Amino acid sequence: MRKGFDMSKNKRALFLFLLGIGVLIIIFMLNIALGSVNISVSEILGCFFAPENVSRAHRSIIMNIRLPRTLAAIMGGACLSASGVLLQIFFSNPIVEPYILGISSGSTLFLAMVILGGYTFGFASIGAFGMFLGSFLGAMLVMLLVIFAAQKVRSVTTLLIIGLMFGYICSAGTSLLTVLADRDRIAGFTIWTMGSFSGFTWEQVGILYMVAIPFLFLSFIISKPLNTMLLGEKYAQSMGISIRSFRFLMVLISSVLTAIVTAFAGCVSFVGLAVPHIVRTIYKTSDNRVVIPAACIYGGVMAGLCDMAARLVLSPTELPLGAVTSIIGAPVVIYLLTRKKGGSL
Amino acid sequence: MNLILSAEGLSVGYDKKTVVSGIDIKAAKGQVICLLGANGAGKSTVLRTLSGLLAPVSGAVYIDGENVREIKRKDLARRLSLVLTEQPAPSLTTVYELAAMGRTPYTDFLGRLSDDDRIIIDEALAQTGSLPLKDRIFGELSDGEKQKVMISRALVQQPELIILDEPTSHLDIKHKIEIIRILQKLANEKEITCILSLHDIDLALKCCSAVMLVKDGKIAACGAPEDIAEKGIIDELYGIENASFFETTGAVELKGADKNDVFIAGGGGTATPLLRSLARLGCGISCGIIHENDVDFYSAKTICSAVASEKPFCTISQETVSEAQKLISEAKCVIDSGFPVGETNAACVQLIGYAAALGKPVMSLRGAEECKRLFGNTALRSFDKVSEAAAAAMLHAPQFNA
Repeated sequence: MRKGFDMSKNKRALFLFLLGIGVLIIIFMLNIALGSVNISVSEILGCFFAPENVSRAHRSIIMNIRLPRTLAAIMGGACLSASGVLLQIFFSNPIVEPYILGISSGSTLFLAMVILGGYTFGFASIGAFGMFLGSFLGAMLVMLLVIFAAQKVRSVTTLLIIGLMFGYICSAGTSLLTVLADRDRIAGFTIWTMGSFSGFTWEQVGILYMVAIPFLFLSFIISKPLNTMLLGEKYAQSMGISIRSFRFLMVLISSVLTAIVTAFAGCVSFVGLAVPHIVRTIYKTSDNRVVIPAACIYGGVMAGLCDMAARLVLSPTELPLGAVTSIIGAPVVIYLLTRKKGGSL
Repeated sequence: MNLILSAEGLSVGYDKKTVVSGIDIKAAKGQVICLLGANGAGKSTVLRTLSGLLAPVSGAVYIDGENVREIKRKDLARRLSLVLTEQPAPSLTTVYELAAMGRTPYTDFLGRLSDDDRIIIDEALAQTGSLPLKDRIFGELSDGEKQKVMISRALVQQPELIILDEPTSHLDIKHKIEIIRILQKLANEKEITCILSLHDIDLALKCCSAVMLVKDGKIAACGAPEDIAEKGIIDELYGIENASFFETTGAVELKGADKNDVFIAGGGGTATPLLRSLARLGCGISCGIIHENDVDFYSAKTICSAVASEKPFCTISQETVSEAQKLISEAKCVIDSGFPVGETNAACVQLIGYAAALGKPVMSLRGAEECKRLFGNTALRSFDKVSEAAAAAMLHAPQFNA
């Protein structure tokens, strides 16, 4: 048994990867199939291979509404989870993620400024890439503020509270802007700030994938130095990591991954927190070479599931996605905080 | 001499604020160099600067003749590794995975281990005796086991030099000794230089090839422990006032009360447990007649308010006897520690009789028969245990008689 330890760990990881991908495919299909109009799997497949056999209405629902939405939810979940892993290591704090630290809210605030400010100054609409840039600036700004605060406090819980406060400040700013802006033009904006994958356009999906894939890959590339960071910065440095540039890289990657999701889907809470912990627990490892790809897969699964629940539970009324992810994610935070060690990486 | 690390006129500190200045250090292959100093003296700052984590305020640290701040991080990681005080524990990492992290400066971008890497990791774990722990979760080990694993991790980097910040703090005496032994072995067999800070002065003086004393922002002394350890240097280093450290034995004694309640007739190490026991109870003690080369002398010197002592290897002089008699007459009671009796200290036996004649209560730690043989019909109480004798003596001390 001892001898086979390494082996069985690898087998377990392989099994879980295959399982995750399988579940992801099922969720993907279900997300497209289920809704106010139910569509059969054969119709979904038909859409790609023999479009002429599928009714026009169903094809339109699949291609214009459900497919971009599902693709966005899955990739969004992956981005938030990977970002959560990076932030948890960066702050050597198991209870942080983009939403808790206020980074998502910072993103939203800047986005609100871009969108609503844009309306005020007469721009008819802001391009998808412009939205991403605005949201990225907000994410970076709050991230830097939180890093600054983190240097002053060492306590896990204090950092959490500071992040929450940043989140409140940004949300307050967003609310102010919403009130000041023209009512008709912000229809849907409030719902959007609570997080939602609805209304994704193909242009937005395109930008989401174009930005997310290289940055997710980057986060996997840095998984070896991330592992050394588990021992703390000094040890990482002593093992040959140039800490300054590496810290910058971590901040950049996690901000981009958060911003790209927030730009189009608003604040999606707790996915970035719950998924890394679930992954570490089921894979029984802290090795980021496993945790990061696994977080991407299971992040997709979780966001896909939550989005499905948001759409279906009180159908035809759609629940705010944030409500669903919070119901699942917040108990994870409580569990981690009440555990003796306050949780660990 | 094969120099691994050197620095001259180095000043260390944070943000241009100097903490320790004027550091000269030359570390040769296979040396174990220890920094001693009080908490907050700046030992950790010195070590962090030597390891290149912290920029010096002035001067430079050279490793193999190269400025440590200019060596590429990855190259430096192959020459120097660290063991720090904090033991961050990623909750799900096994001992093996943790030690394997030491291969970071050698492996490819995904950190895949080759067969050679695995051999090196196994060897490093074996060096510290941690190989049987390799499948355990690091966070679940005892402090001592953790520290050994962290040393293994440092070894996996195959360094020429290991810098350790207080590697023995929080450890029990068995593990302290084990850690020091491991470092000595590494230095002697693998010629790895170790620079470390310790709080265990006795271990440092016994195990390290050189010690540096850090005090008041300076290096107070530096050299082989035999040359450094003059009487009183440690008391001065740590600013010890109501206790005393004996460089010869490496023991610390706490000062007793400055009065004379109990006189103890001792010698040959028999008085020391009694002295400690009584001092703990707050009793003022005098002691005699002790030869100055006796173990009892070292402890009595610190603990007792007065000691009647004789020069080494001499028969006790009349002068010393009258000094002891004076102490007895001042004391409330007398205890015979059961000292061995020989030619040079026969006078001590007479002191017991003297005390009894003065009407002082006399207690003895000898059996009744031996008492009879040595002291004849002198009235005394005989005890088996030191604590019982001490308790009996306390009954005669004034603060309990009120």
